[in-house]
Amino acid sequence: MRIIGGQFVLQFFIRKIVQGILLLLITSAAAFFLLSSAGSDAFTSLRENPQVSAAAIEKLRASYGLDRPVIERYGSWLASAARADLGDSFYYQVPVAQLVLARFWSTAVLAFAAIGIACLIAVTLAFLNARFRSRTLSVFTDGIILVFSSTPRIVISLLALAILVYGAITSVFWLSAISLSVPLVALLLAQFNQSLQDAMLEDFVRTARAKGLSETVIILRHAFRAAINPALTVFGLSLGALLGGSVIVETVIGRPGIGSLTVTAVRNRDIPLLMGVMIVVSIAVWAGNSLAEVLQFVNDKRLKSQEGE
Amino acid sequence: MSDNGGSTRLSIAAKAGILLLLGFVLVAVFADFLAPYDHTSQSRNLPNASISTISFSNDDSGSFSLVPRVFEPKMTDALLQSYTHDPSRSAKVEFFAKGYSYRLLGVIPLDRHLFGTGSDEIGLHLLGTDALGRDRFSRLLIAIRFSLIVCTIGAAFASIVGIALGLVGGYAGKMADTVISGVADAVISLPSMIVILAARVAFPLELPPMTAALLLVGLFTFTGWAEMTRLTRGLVKRTRTLDYITAARISGVSGSRILVRHILPNIARPLLTQATLILPAFLLVEATLSFLGVGLQEPEPSLGNMLAAANDLTQLREHAFVLLSPAIVIALFVLAVRLTNTGFNTNEDRKNF
Repeated sequence: MRIIGGQFVLQFFIRKIVQGILLLLITSAAAFFLLSSAGSDAFTSLRENPQVSAAAIEKLRASYGLDRPVIERYGSWLASAARADLGDSFYYQVPVAQLVLARFWSTAVLAFAAIGIACLIAVTLAFLNARFRSRTLSVFTDGIILVFSSTPRIVISLLALAILVYGAITSVFWLSAISLSVPLVALLLAQFNQSLQDAMLEDFVRTARAKGLSETVIILRHAFRAAINPALTVFGLSLGALLGGSVIVETVIGRPGIGSLTVTAVRNRDIPLLMGVMIVVSIAVWAGNSLAEVLQFVNDKRLKSQEGE
Repeated sequence: MSDNGGSTRLSIAAKAGILLLLGFVLVAVFADFLAPYDHTSQSRNLPNASISTISFSNDDSGSFSLVPRVFEPKMTDALLQSYTHDPSRSAKVEFFAKGYSYRLLGVIPLDRHLFGTGSDEIGLHLLGTDALGRDRFSRLLIAIRFSLIVCTIGAAFASIVGIALGLVGGYAGKMADTVISGVADAVISLPSMIVILAARVAFPLELPPMTAALLLVGLFTFTGWAEMTRLTRGLVKRTRTLDYITAARISGVSGSRILVRHILPNIARPLLTQATLILPAFLLVEATLSFLGVGLQEPEPSLGNMLAAANDLTQLREHAFVLLSPAIVIALFVLAVRLTNTGFNTNEDRKNF
């Protein structure tokens, strides 16, 4: 049994790593060709400057290697990217890898805070719904799901900015985290509430009731474990959404992170920086999905071993 | 559907959603007629004026009159841009007032607007004016029209491309399916906002309105197709094993004909739901891009670039409501689509039982 399990785990990791490499190749190639085929780079705006001659621009471009064919440039980019060297940012004049990683951690901490807030609200509300089965509470939950899922992040961030201006809450970090978490609250709550309700109808819950366990213990020890897997899928998918959401939250509230870095890169046509952002985001999304799958597997295995006892 | 004898009853939520959506469509169609002022005309002596003061009393006797009057705003502090109204100067609100000329529905030349003041000096600004003295209400209406048109076209293109690829992926051989679903999964897993921003850099940052609209449609199609493809592919895979498809295949119907005539009509309903659900997502992308200054640019109004004014913190403190009005419009639109959709879906569920 153990050997088969070990083989399965090995296969799983190999499959995940191959998937990750493929994802990285696809996104980096697509981004690179799109960004370099359009014929505009960091020096495009210089063309409008009458004091800079066309020859000077060509010389500049050549010094950055921008006159070589796209395939060749992608090859050399890929070769240095494999050594974790993503080149220098045109705008910031520092190594891209260092800059992007620093900003990514700043956003990742924010994203984890947002996930924490969302989990806290979703788990609490779903538990209360399963425990008390109150009609009012259920309507309230549906209302929260509808309002939270249909309030756009741009609106939430501006409201957060207004709150910051009026001085009700002064912590930029927590305001950003709350703004980032709002759509996620709706998503997680909808999923977890539904799967917990489904789990409460299962046979093992009836067995537990027959054994005379209290309702709270049944929900926390038995139903939760069964309900958690679908919610983990949502968690895996939400990491990408959170990184995308950080674009607007960080720009509006003015907190440095991967989102505001993307906007700066776009405004300044900093293509090496954008490539770096795309790579780091792809890795993060891949890692998030893989982590969710591993957690699901662990949770599932525990269920299985319990059945075996 | 028509064949269940009118027994389909929509929930109040769905009705409210449909009503809101209808309102949005009316605004989009009749934006020029509803807008009292040209969205680009500026009055430099009235920057950031607050909402016009309206009174229902007659100016001399103080008695009640059904026709409201608008007072002329008077700037009290040029630095703070604060205003009071001048009670001695007012104008009557007129309906079907003469204003700037436009073409209704793009064809009928008109110069009448739903309401106005009939006075060149005293204007009725329902949401005040922006930093250049342009009527914010008129700009908001034109912005809604732009967003709705661009997002609808974008959703249509994304749906067509997505459904076509999904049909091919779900029905054609393993090779095509692997490639299509692999790329679709990659596109779905990446955060679309960052992908769109990165793709946006491939084009000049400042664009004329028509090119910007085309680019937005292109970007929507570029990122929106994948979700549609995944859904279509799954539905096709489930449908293709059904008996009537096998029967059609045995009787020699070609693959493309089976897809278009037999499978597509049977999976149209969930596809339509998905197509309407990507509409608010596109609206948000448009607003975000314009907010960041890389979507539709001034002087053309868009929900996003109007919201950019809310980044001015001193203004936000003074006029929070009018500055956030485009945000309220966005939230209302998303809510309208959600309400309509959930209403219709619960209706479907009830019918199935």
